[in-house]
Order: sequence, then C-alpha cells, then structure tokens
Amino acid sequence: MMRMPPFKLHTPKTLEEALEIARELTKEEESFDWVAGGTDLLPNYKWHLNVKPHVISLSGISELTKLSSTHIGAMVRLHDLSKSRSTHPVLVKAADSIASTLIRRSGTVGGNICLDTRCYWFNQTEQWRESIDWCHKCDCGTEADCRVIPNQNTLCVATYQADLAPVLMCLGATIHLASIKGIRSMPLNEFFELDGMTRNVLQPGELVTHITLPKDVKEWNGDYQKLRQRESWDFPEAGVAALWKMGIKGPTKLRIATTGLESIPGWHTEEAKNAISNWNGGDTIDSLAETIRKNVKPVQNTWYSTSYRRKMIKVLTRRACAGLLEVSE
Amino acid sequence: MTDEDEMIGYRQQPGKLPFAKPGSGGKNRFSKSTNQEMIPESQGGKLTQPWGSHRHDDLVSGQIIGKPTALVDSHWKVTGQAKYGDDIRLPGELIGRIVRSPHHYARVLSIDCSKALELPGVVAIATGADAANKFGVLPVTKDEHAMAVEKVRHVGDLVACVAAEDEATAREAERLIEVEYEVLDSIHDMRKGLEDSDNPIHDRGKYHIGEANVQKRVFQEFGDIGGMVSNSIASHKQNWLFAGVNHAATEPHAVVAHWDPSGRLTLYTPQQVPHYVHRALADVLEVPMHQINVHRTFVGGGFGGKSDPFPHEMCSAILARKSGRPVRITFDREEVYWINRGRHPSRIEMNLHADDEGRICGIETDALIDGGGFASFGHVTTYYNGVLHTAPYEIGAFHYTGARVWTNKPASGAMRGHGAVNSRCAVETGLDDLAEQMEVDPITLRLANLLPPHSATITGFRVTSIGMRECLERVKEESGWDKKFRKMPLGKGIGIGCGFFISGSGLPIHWDPNKFPHATVHLKIDMDGGVTIHTGAADIGQGSDTVVAQAVAEVLGLPLDMIRVKSRDSDTSPVDLGSYSSRVTFMNANAAISAAMQIRDELLDATVEVTGADRHRLVIGDRRIFAKNDPAVGISYLEALHKAQEDRGALVASGAYRTPPMGRTHKGAAAGLAPAYSFSAYVAEVSVDVETGQTKVDKVWAAHDCGKALNPLAVKGQIIGSCHMGMGQVLSEEMRYGRGGHLMNPDLLDYKIPSVHEMPQVFPIIVESNDPEGPFGAKEAGEGPLLPILPAVCNAVYDAIGVRTAELPITPDRLLKLIERKCRSQGINEPLDLPSPKLNYSSLQETLAKRASEHAQRDLERRLDANRKPYHNGALFGLDPTTPPEENNELWAVNVIPSENYLAQPRLAGSAWKHTERRHRGDA
Repeated sequence: MMRMPPFKLHTPKTLEEALEIARELTKEEESFDWVAGGTDLLPNYKWHLNVKPHVISLSGISELTKLSSTHIGAMVRLHDLSKSRSTHPVLVKAADSIASTLIRRSGTVGGNICLDTRCYWFNQTEQWRESIDWCHKCDCGTEADCRVIPNQNTLCVATYQADLAPVLMCLGATIHLASIKGIRSMPLNEFFELDGMTRNVLQPGELVTHITLPKDVKEWNGDYQKLRQRESWDFPEAGVAALWKMGIKGPTKLRIATTGLESIPGWHTEEAKNAISNWNGGDTIDSLAETIRKNVKPVQNTWYSTSYRRKMIKVLTRRACAGLLEVSE
Repeated sequence: MTDEDEMIGYRQQPGKLPFAKPGSGGKNRFSKSTNQEMIPESQGGKLTQPWGSHRHDDLVSGQIIGKPTALVDSHWKVTGQAKYGDDIRLPGELIGRIVRSPHHYARVLSIDCSKALELPGVVAIATGADAANKFGVLPVTKDEHAMAVEKVRHVGDLVACVAAEDEATAREAERLIEVEYEVLDSIHDMRKGLEDSDNPIHDRGKYHIGEANVQKRVFQEFGDIGGMVSNSIASHKQNWLFAGVNHAATEPHAVVAHWDPSGRLTLYTPQQVPHYVHRALADVLEVPMHQINVHRTFVGGGFGGKSDPFPHEMCSAILARKSGRPVRITFDREEVYWINRGRHPSRIEMNLHADDEGRICGIETDALIDGGGFASFGHVTTYYNGVLHTAPYEIGAFHYTGARVWTNKPASGAMRGHGAVNSRCAVETGLDDLAEQMEVDPITLRLANLLPPHSATITGFRVTSIGMRECLERVKEESGWDKKFRKMPLGKGIGIGCGFFISGSGLPIHWDPNKFPHATVHLKIDMDGGVTIHTGAADIGQGSDTVVAQAVAEVLGLPLDMIRVKSRDSDTSPVDLGSYSSRVTFMNANAAISAAMQIRDELLDATVEVTGADRHRLVIGDRRIFAKNDPAVGISYLEALHKAQEDRGALVASGAYRTPPMGRTHKGAAAGLAPAYSFSAYVAEVSVDVETGQTKVDKVWAAHDCGKALNPLAVKGQIIGSCHMGMGQVLSEEMRYGRGGHLMNPDLLDYKIPSVHEMPQVFPIIVESNDPEGPFGAKEAGEGPLLPILPAVCNAVYDAIGVRTAELPITPDRLLKLIERKCRSQGINEPLDLPSPKLNYSSLQETLAKRASEHAQRDLERRLDANRKPYHNGALFGLDPTTPPEENNELWAVNVIPSENYLAQPRLAGSAWKHTERRHRGDA
C-alpha cells in the first residue's frame, strides 16, 4: 500500500500559535509544510514528493473559517463555500466543480489557491521517478533535468490546476498573508509568480489567512468554463473565468483569467480591456478568444495534448463570454 | 424384534426429532405450494417455452431459478466482513515488498543484498537465483520467472523481494538492495516487434520465430477467398489503433503465504483461477501439488486481471519458506499496472466486403497485438482476435492474419471479452459503413445475414441456440430506432453494435477434455438437511457461489439458506479451471445439477420406499416430495433424506461436466470452440459537442441472449457493469505511454475510468434462447455484454456528426482532430455548420428486409425442429447447407499456412510469417 512517510504533526489552536511554531521550526532549521484539508499535500507525501519532517495543521484554527460575501477564510471548506448563499454564483460554480464531493468536504479555499502544481512526470511514485532518472521539481539532490522540456533545469513547467483562483482574480480579490514578521496583502493576481516550484510569493513560515472581495462583487456577472475528461475527480485541463459589468450599450468592464495551462493562472487584463474598448458583440468575443488562445503556452504534462488545450481555451472563452451577448442583444 | 420394540427409546432419536415433520427443514416450518408460473409448460406448468423444452425441465422445482436473487455472499461484503487478499492477517506475519526494474530492458549483472540484510527487521531476501523454474498460465508458453533471471523486460519487472517486520523496514530494505544493470535497447512500438532483433525479449530456442519478437502468429483462410473482392459492390477498409486498457479492479493484488508446521504451504490469494497458481507454485517451489493448499480469498474484482499465476505469489511463498513466517504482499495501484495482463494494445486492419444481394461476402482481418513482456494468455488472444468474429453473421469468406509480439511493456493478457472486443468493434463499425455505402439500414443488414440456430460457422464452430435476431429486434423496437436513426440533429446520434462470445472455452488448458472433466462439484448432505457444496469455481464477485447454490437448491427443492458453498480451499474443493472464458455458470452449474440429480434420485427412491408411490409421478417441491397427480401423497424432504441415510449416513455425490466433441481438425480449430455462445445487441444514443469533441453517452438499450437468466438480477448487473467498462475503453481509458516508453498514468486519477456522471441510463433487456446444453438453458452473461457497447458508441458518434473514428479511446482531443479534418475536407469553417448524416434507402433495403423476414421464419422453424438437418455457413451463398462447404466445393479454401503469393505482399501482422521458425531454418 502507499505508505505515508513519517512526519511530526503540529496542531495549533490559534493563528498566533501556528506562526510561533513556524518560527521555532525555522529557527531550528527544520523544514515544514502547512496542511489545510490535506487533499493535495497528503497524496503528494504518499508519493514522496517533497516530504518535510514537520507538518503544521491549520484545521484547529477557527479564526480562519469566517465566510461572508466579501470575506473568505483560508480554512473555509470548498463544500461550505459552494453551499453558502453569500457566495458569488460564478464562484459557486467553480467551487462546485472541484474534484469530488468527498474532496470538497475536506479541501479548503486556501489549499485550493495554494495547490501544488502538477505534472505527469512529477505526480508519480518514487519507483516511477527512478525509472525516468528523477524529476527536477522534487528530486533536487539528484541534479535531475526537467523531463517535460529536456535540457533545461532553470524553470519548472508543472501546471497550476486549481479552479478558484481565476474566478477570484476576476472578482477583484485581495489575498491576505500572515507570518511571524507581520501581515501583508495584495491583489490575488500579484500573489502568483511564474515558476512551477515556488508558484507564489509565500515566504517560508508565511500562510494565506483569507481573501477579501470588493463591495461591488454582486454587480459582476459572468461564467466559469472548465475542461476535463470526467465530470468528477479530474483537475481542470483548462479553465476560463470571465466576469463583467454591464452598461446600457454593452459591457463596461470585463476581466478574464485562465487556469490549468501554465504554472500560474493566466491574467488577461490587456486583452479584455482591448475587447471592451472596441466592443462589437460576437466578433469581439471571437477575436478576444483567439487572442487568449495565442497568449497561453501550455506544455505536454497533463492528460490532454497541448494543441487541444489551446484550441479549447478559445471555445471555453467564447462560452464563458456567451452571457455578454445575451444581455447586449 | 417387533415394531414396538424398535420404537422404544427411539422417539428421541434424530430421525424423529421435530424438524422431521413435513415441511420443516428450513426457516419456514411449512413448505409452500409449487408456483406453477415457474414450472415449464413441458412439465404441465404455466411457464411458456417459446424456444421449446429443455433437458432440465423435469428438474425444475419452482424454487429459485429465474428469480432475482441477492448474491449469497452479499451480506458479507456490504457489512465489511468479507476478507479480501489484504485482510488476511496471520500471527507473526512479515511484510513483503518487491524490488522492481527502473529500466525497460536490461541485463541484471549483479544484485547486492548485503546492506539490506544488515538492516534491523529484515528477515529474508530472495532473488531470481532462488527460483529458477519457469511458469506461465499456458503450458505451451511458460516464460515467466518469480524474479528476473538474467534479464528484466519492462519497467516494474520483478528483480528481488524482501520480507521484513513491517512495511517501513521492507521499503527501506528495498532501497538498500543494489542492482547493477546493463541497459539494452528496448522496443515500444509493436510494429518493431515484427522485425529481427539483436536481443529478442525471449528466446524460445528452436521454436523461436526467426530472430524476431513474434510470440505467436496465426493465418486462417476459409471460404471463397478468390471471389470476395470481385463479387463485392461495397467494401470497407479501416486501420484501427486500440490503446491497451487495464481491468482496474477495485482491489489491488494481495497475497499471503504461510508454511504450516506440517510443512505444507497455504497461499491466500484473490485468484480467479486458483488451480493454475496451484500448478505454478508446485513447479516453481518444486513441491508436490498435494503439499499446497490454495485458499481463494474474496476477490475484489478480477475481470481477467487475476487469472494468471503471478510472480508476486511465488515471491511470497519463497519468502515465507525462507523466513519460516507468513509473508503478506499487497500491491500499490502502480504495481497493478506493472503486472497488468490488460487488453492488448492492437493495430487492426479490417476489410469487409458485401455483394449485390447485401450479403457479407468477405471479412479480412489483420490484427497485430502488443503482448508486452510476457506470453500470459496471448497465444489464445491471437486466435480470438480473428475467430471470434466469424459469427453471428453468415459470411462468404474469412481471411485472418494475427500476430502477437513481445515489447518492453507490462504484459498484456486476458481481460473481460478476451481477444474479441477490439476486432468486434472493428467489424461492427465496418458493417455500419457497408450499410451506409449500400444505403440500407444497418439493423436490417444484420438481420438479413444472421446464421440460423444450430449451425456451423465458417471455421466450424458448433453454434446451438442463437437469440441474436431477438436481441436486434428488441433494441430496435425499444430504442425507437426507426424514428431516430439518421434523423437526429447535428450532435445527436444513435448507433447499433452486436456481440458474440464463447460460453466456456471448449478446451481445458491443461488436459484433454476426454480424459478429465472441465468442472466437478461435490455435494454432502447430513441429517440436518443442509447441503454443503464443494466446488473449486472462484467467485470473483460475478456470483458463481450463488449460481451453483441456486442450481442445487432448484433440483432439490430447497431454500437458498439450506445451501452452503465451500469454494475457497483447494484442499477441500474438486479441481475447477476457474473463472475465465465465461465458463462458470455453464460448466459448474451443469456439474452441480448432475451431482444434485444423484441426490435427487436417492431421495425419490427413499420416498417410494416410504410411500409406495409411483416413482415416475413423484416431483419435488419446496422441501417436499410428492406425487404430481395427488400432492397429498408424499413426505417431507427431511423424511426422505433420513430414510435415504439409514444405511450409509451422510449422502455424498459428485457431478461433473465435460464438453461434447466439437469442431474441425485444422490447426487452431480448437481456439474459440465452446459448448454454447452468447449473443448481444446494443443501441447507444450519444451527444457529441462538435466544438470540443466531447462525447456523452445518454442512453443504452442493451439486449443480451444469456440462454436463461438463472438470476436476472445478476444478469442485469453484468449488462450494466459491462456498459460501464466498455464505455471506459471507448471513451477515456487507456494505458498511455509517454515519450521514452514510460507508462504515464499508472494511477486511478489519470487512468480515466468513467465516473457516475458519465454513466448513461442503461435499459437491460434479457433474451432467453434456452440453450439445449446449458444448465436450465443458461449461457454466459459476464463477458459477451461488453462487446457491443464499443461499436454502438462509435456508430452513434458517426450518426451524430458524420465522423468515423478508428482510434480508441475516442478522447475529445482525438475526435476534435477528426472533426477538423472533416470540416477542412468539406470547406466548412465552423464545426457547428457540419451537416448531420442523412440516409435515403436504396432498392437493396427492400431485398434485405424481405430476406430478414424469411430468415426469421426459417430460424423459428429451425429452433423448434428436433429433427433439423445440419446447416453449414455458406448456404446463404448457394452451397449445400448439410455438408461442410469444403467437402463439395473445390474453390472453398481451408488454409492455415500462408501461400508464397500472400507472403509477397503480406499485411502488417501477416508479415510475421516472413520469418522461419528456427527449427525449420536449417541453421540451428
């Protein structure tokens, strides 16, 4: 059977306590991971992917579970997010499509946003990775090359396959982080940093505490479209969130973000801005979809081929934007 | 001694205990009167028999046959008390782990276990040197070792194994075992396997085929080969590529081996075929078979994936012998993929020809199948890819070339629908294309070309009952076919597919059926009245324990709770070949009936002795034996039983089943022979998103001819389960090999088994053709139902968007490419503007409809006619139906060796015949 490697589990009851444990461990030069719902980290541990000797569980920290229309705690379960009346309908749609019921009951908002990137050559057992002479993302001591794009080991190209981030980005979310050094916050789109290994700006000992949404969140309409083989379990092979504000003559604001294509979510503000300024209904959406297709660069490390995922980005963008036409006609 | 003397002190004896009162013996004190709706009309009951009477009709007591019945072990499973392989915990057990090859193909130069042995907690380590003897499921192709001897043949191949006090230690020891390899050039493309190689993956000595990696090759030519192309007005040609699929049973393989203090080995294993692992253990361990007990645990799904004797089973036994303690090995999911034995990745060229009367005047098939590293069942698979599509249609010619090659992948083997699934998909989609070309309805085309009941196929299979026509008519009717076919809008489609499968392989693998039966069942009944059944048939979840219990309960007139089935230990159960080739219901229930008949005879004799009734008038009902004409005359089951036991105590009986002599004499004639065949026809309705290529199966009407549904609940379960499994293969499941030949998805997240969301609504339709030789008329229902779903979905996709696929699974990315190609060829920019296929019937439609209705009449007369004459395939083409065509027609080919002519221009798999076997080469 897959066996969990040994680690020491810490179960703080408050955020302060958690950060203190993190500080202690850092001081002792012990590495650790945060665990929220565990649905991402623990399977990876069983695969011996970047296993740490210490794990700090956030599940006992009640202050991280607050949920309202403008505040989403990092420890809010995906199930609770999707069933809450205060949640924006597009966010509900995205949350409800994640993995399976069981996983949504356990998985959290913070965990989903910080989801580790995924790759066919990475999410495998140790025995399997030995057969490819190891992987750049997890077997660092082996000086392994990247197996997706051989002969480069500067950038990891594992794919970010989480659903909530693009929707939250389009809703104008701000992400709030905390560490022993203090708290900081930033627009969610600035949280991610292009690299499949580091993925985001989180520093050692730092964690996501919550997300806030602007007050006007209810004025935004939109859709989230997701590509996958099966309607359950599967991670998004591509995902497009489109949210807009509607004026009398058409959309006044439009934001588009994508997921499942690169090592971080795609943020397509420029393309969307151009589309709005030259708004011409269906034709605009078509050319916007084509532009986004050109701008995403997936690599061959998930179930579907890269060419298919790019083509589908065009279709998904059109479908996500279909609501724009309904209103303007 | 007077009567009174005899009674003194006897009233309290067992024979006179209260449970001997009439009607007792089961939970209900009183026996129920016989339900006449369940008694066949041949016996004066009210059960109609449109397909005629059956030899088992007089054994029907109206108890359980034909009633939806929960499986006898279901409570064990649903309450979590069933013990599967990994649930076996013996005191003092060690945990075994296997060291596996990280290389596709390599020579093992050395193995250094010294560091691992120094690790505290490590008790034993074994390597290939500990087990030199070869084994394999087929005696003709034994090519496996417990662990690598000389070479490893795929990533994940076994190199060594270690037993330790706990799993963590075992895993640590695994890392400490140092293996030195010399990496060899590996083969991943099956086409490469046809060529000569410097290092063939196996060496079969003088039987080796050239220097190639060809493990088995088949050539068959029957019928009017010369005329099939010249007589045709329509021809279909398609080159198929089928990805390999895995059984993906819920339970990963697990095994526990234990040498007991008397020096005997017990192997606890979830096996489909305990007898073969029994033989293999004896070979590998060099221990006589009688010193080994194979205990079959509950099996958490087999589907063919647990039917080979496995190297890890040998490893656990070797480690247990070395350590003197029980050793348990449980696989990770990844290891299940390494051991594989799933459906072969295949390249199949399918050519079909139809003549001006809409007859199928030729089928030409060329199947190259990728066997992976070992032979497994592959010898048989190579035949099955051809011979199992010689029916249900009457054909003018059959040309088959097949080859199985070794490659450096996990071994392919037998999987539900063994060898028949891929080529059946190719045939049935080809027929759809022929119908399209001839502008006729594909169901009518099929109905006008069916073999009649009790006929011989082109290669000489004896086919008895055939419910194909009824299956087709029922799905056509219930799906609303005529209103939907070629009439639905773009993106919505409906398609037909048929199936034909063996109901029990006619040849036992290890012996001549004339010298030893296929299946044996023992019964033992003591004075409590309960019946103990000893059988070696492996219940793998399909319900074999239930069906054998049902058969005995029916014959003896007992409720199911009076039957207990002991099928786990080879020590106590008679030899059975196990659960493969859909043989268990047919063969084992027949053996059970034959054993129960002996008990029945004894009970009837006893009843005659007690009541003085006329033996011929006695019948058995619910725990009561009575005169048919006067039910008041009779005694309870227990009274009869105790009477029968007077002189000998517990009753015992042994029943057996063997197949009748069948088939012809050409090389390979035995492959595909079966005492009966099942038939099925499915209609699938699908939605295809033309922009994304995503296919959703909405509804399936699934008709299966299982002869007689002994347990309709189990039959429906098999049909629905088959739809799910087949849908997986057609839409999403594949063992995907990446650049460099690595298996990319050895886990259940990336190996895409359809979820409940993908599952269509299935309407199971049971057709009962009352097979003359089957138990109570039954045939198989476990594998045949899988076949039609693949082509039905492929054909429905064509109906929806006008695109024919020739590569499975039809993942959206593959289908979208085909859609784009179609758009380009038609000068269309947007897929949404594609025309939906339409069809106007040609004049041939009427000819076919007329012939179909004539044949329906022919078949009806034939199935009820006890004095029917023989019917050989070929009669539809004007030949004498009563003799094999080759006997009165010189042009009718029967060849199993390719001609020089063929070899000048062979097809892909046919090119395997370019090589000369070493023993015929003159250089060895």
